[in-house]
Amino acid sequence: MKKNSFYLIVGCIALALLAIFWYFVEVSVEVHRPFIIEAAFIVAIVIIYFVRKRVTDINEDERSAKITEQAAVRTFQVFWVIFCAFSIGAVMQILYVPTFPREHFEFHTQELLGPKMMGYFQLGLLCLMFFLYVAFRIYYARKYGDWETDEE
Amino acid sequence: MHDLTQEDLAQAIGVTRQTILAIEKGKYVPSLDLAFKISRHFQVNIEEVFVYDEAVLTVTVD
Repeated sequence: MKKNSFYLIVGCIALALLAIFWYFVEVSVEVHRPFIIEAAFIVAIVIIYFVRKRVTDINEDERSAKITEQAAVRTFQVFWVIFCAFSIGAVMQILYVPTFPREHFEFHTQELLGPKMMGYFQLGLLCLMFFLYVAFRIYYARKYGDWETDEE
Repeated sequence: MHDLTQEDLAQAIGVTRQTILAIEKGKYVPSLDLAFKISRHFQVNIEEVFVYDEAVLTVTVD
């Protein structure tokens, strides 16, 4: 399979996902089925993964593999610290661990780390992870000469 | 000397042209496997292509 066909299929899957999201969020409001949206997302990612394996004209070698690996490791190193810090705060909130001085944090943490906000925070963290990965990938691609040009 | 373009060499040893360019410029240190492939392509010993320096690896093929 050619690279362009792969991008076309990814575009079609993205459109199908958007349609599913739109249908279950906007149209069928009375039928509250978040599970279908979650399942659709997982199925879409699995399809993309298997289609990606069939692409033949993507040039990958040990240098590009190293860039991907380094970017992934660095993203993980930064992300787990942020995620852990957030999780500690969330767990403290769920378990009602007393804070000192109590009056100081009382109303802020209730609103910030309430159950409804958790989903938004997770989505935000996911976006952060994505941007971290892109930033590290650009950094390592530059470091390992991705944008080098011939002088002669 | 070998009348070979970076693209030709890259195709012959199964990497991208950018990787050959990065090795030439010292931006990327190849694996032992790739280093052997390059030296075998030129039918020379690996020490004639790559020079091991404590801090920097240099490429010596023309």
